[in-house]
Amino acid sequence: MKKYISQQNLNTLLDNLIAEGRRVVAPRMSAGIPLYEPLTSSTEMVTGLLPRRSAKEAFFPVCEELMSYEKEGQQVKLTDVDPARFPETVLVGVRPCDAVAIPVLDAVFSWDYKDEFFLERRRKTTIIGLACTTADDACFCTAVGLSPTETRGSDLFLTPLVGGGYAFESCSAKGEQLITNHKELFTGQTKAKTLPLAAPQTEKIDVKKVKGWLDEHFEDPLWDGVAVRCVGCGACAFVCPACHCFDIVDEGTEKAGKRRKSWDACGFWKFTHHASGHNPRDLQPKRYRNRIMHKFKYYNDKFGQTLCTGCGRCVRICPVGIDIKAIIDTIMNSEC
Amino acid sequence: MCDTNKNIYLPHLATVAEVVDETPDVRTLRLVFQDEHVRDGFAFRAGQFAEYSAFGAGESTFCIASSPTRKGHIECSFRSVGRVTEELRRLEVGDSMGVRGPYGNSYPIEEFYGKNLVFVAGGIALPPLRTLIWNCLDLRDKFGDITIVYGARTESDLVYKRELQEWQERADVRLVKTVDPGGNGPEWDGRVGFVPTILEETAPAAENTIALVCGPPVMIKFTLPVLEKLGFGDEQVYTTLENRMKCGLGKCGRCNVGNVYVCKDGPVFTAKQIKAMPMEF
Repeated sequence: MKKYISQQNLNTLLDNLIAEGRRVVAPRMSAGIPLYEPLTSSTEMVTGLLPRRSAKEAFFPVCEELMSYEKEGQQVKLTDVDPARFPETVLVGVRPCDAVAIPVLDAVFSWDYKDEFFLERRRKTTIIGLACTTADDACFCTAVGLSPTETRGSDLFLTPLVGGGYAFESCSAKGEQLITNHKELFTGQTKAKTLPLAAPQTEKIDVKKVKGWLDEHFEDPLWDGVAVRCVGCGACAFVCPACHCFDIVDEGTEKAGKRRKSWDACGFWKFTHHASGHNPRDLQPKRYRNRIMHKFKYYNDKFGQTLCTGCGRCVRICPVGIDIKAIIDTIMNSEC
Repeated sequence: MCDTNKNIYLPHLATVAEVVDETPDVRTLRLVFQDEHVRDGFAFRAGQFAEYSAFGAGESTFCIASSPTRKGHIECSFRSVGRVTEELRRLEVGDSMGVRGPYGNSYPIEEFYGKNLVFVAGGIALPPLRTLIWNCLDLRDKFGDITIVYGARTESDLVYKRELQEWQERADVRLVKTVDPGGNGPEWDGRVGFVPTILEETAPAAENTIALVCGPPVMIKFTLPVLEKLGFGDEQVYTTLENRMKCGLGKCGRCNVGNVYVCKDGPVFTAKQIKAMPMEF
C-alpha cells in the first residue's frame, strides 16, 4: 500500500494554502510558455510540461531590490530591504532536476557571507517535488547520477499514479509539517501503480573522470572547437537551474533609486571586462570554457558538487545548437 | 564573519573628508564613516579591498589605500575610467558615499617581521602597496631595510607625490623613483628607465627579504624574472590581483582565475601561487 493523495485533495491543499495567504508557485502557462509562477487557483497548475526556466527564481529572482537610496543635499539615506517582505511560499510541481539544484545553490549563498535574500526565501519555502514522467532528447538527469524520482531538494515528494492522484512521501521536517497541518487531505492509501517514469536516453557521465580531464586541460583545442559558434547570448545560464552569477546595478536618478541584483552570465563579453579595457576572458572560447569548468570542476573543487542537474534546458534553448552533454561525452571519451 | 540576518550588500555611509588630486586623472578620497560604531569598529588589514558606492552609478572595487595603523578614516585612490569612478570623482568634501568591506585576504605582515622589504610599484598600482608601506613605517622597528622602487610613465603620473617626498627625506627608507624614458621634465631628480631595469640596477639583496610587487601586467611580467635573477624565491615575492568584481563576497562569479576567487582567496598572492594559476588574469 502507498500513501496517497488524490488530485482533488491536492487541489484543495493548494487552494487552502492560497486562501491562507501563502504564495503558491507552480508551473503554469504564462503567455503560452510554461513557467514557475504564483497561482491564483490550483486549476492553473500544469504538470505535463517542463517549465521554460528553472525553479531557482523562487529564491533568486531574475532581478531584485537590495536597497534604495535617497539624496538630500550632501546627505544620503539608505533603506534596507525588510526580509519580512519575502512571503511564506509553497513551491509545487517541481521537477527533480530543478529541486535538486536548490540545495546545490545553498552552498554558494551560505558559505562565509550569508546571502539572506536567498536564504530567507529558502527558510520560508516548502518544496513539493513531482516525479518526472516525460523525457525528451535533451534530458540527461540520469547521466549526472540523478533520476526522475530524485527526492533531494524536495520537502514532500509526489509520484503520479495510474488512474490519477499521487503517492506521497515526506522528505523533511517541513514536509511533515505540511502534512500535519493538512492531515485530513493526506489520509489516502492505494495499491495503484505509478505511471511509467521518464527514461532519458543518455550515456552516463563519469563526473570524476570529467573533472580529472578538466584539471589538466585548461588549455585545449576543444574549447575553440566547441565555442566557435557561441554567440554569447547567455540564454544557457538564464534557463539553468544551477547557474547563479549575478550583477549589481543602481537604477534610478541621481536623487533617488534602487540598487538591484540581477542575473548575469559568464558568456557575456562584459562580464569580466575591466574598466581599463583589459578582459581576462576576451574571447568566447575562454568564456565557454569557464562555463564548463565552473560546472564540472570549480564548484566541485570548492563545494564538492556538480553545477549541472541534466535538465537539458541549455541544450534546448541554445540558438546555435551547442550541446553540453555532447561536449562532456567528448571529454569522457578523450584518450588523454 | 558577519552577523546573521544582515543584508550583506548594504554599504556603510561615509563622508568625504578630503579630496587629493594625485595626477590629472587619479584622485584620492579620505572617507570617514558616518555611524560612530562603524567608525570605531571598522577593522581591516593591509591588502584588503572594499566596494565603494556612488549612489545612482553603482559600486567600484579598489584596495583600501590607507594604513590600518591610521585610525578614524580610510582612503581610496582611483583613476576615473568608467561610470562609477566618474561619479566618485564628482564627490566633494562633505558629500556622502558608500563603502562595503573590508574584503579579501591581506599581507601576512607578521611573517615579515625581522625581514627586509622591497616594494616595487608601477603607476596607479602604488595604492595597494602604500597601505602596507605606511603600516610597516608605523611599526618601523619590526623590519630591516625598506626599499621602495616606484615608477610611472611620466612625472605627472606619479601618485602620492607628497609622500614620495617624505619617504625620500627619511633616513630609514630607500626610495628609488623613476619615470619611463621621455617622461622626465627638466627638474626631475629621480631615475629614468623602466621599473624592472631600475630594480635590477638597485639590486636589493634577496637574503631575508620579501618583495612586494604591484603594477600593470606588463611590469609584473618583466619584474618577476628580475627578482628571480636577484635570487628571490617565489615564496618571497607577493603581488595582488585585480579582477573585475561585483559582490566581493565569493558569490557573483566573475573574479575567478581558474578555481581561485580573487575576492576570497586573494587579492594578495605569492608569486608561487600566481605561477600555479591558469593565464586568466
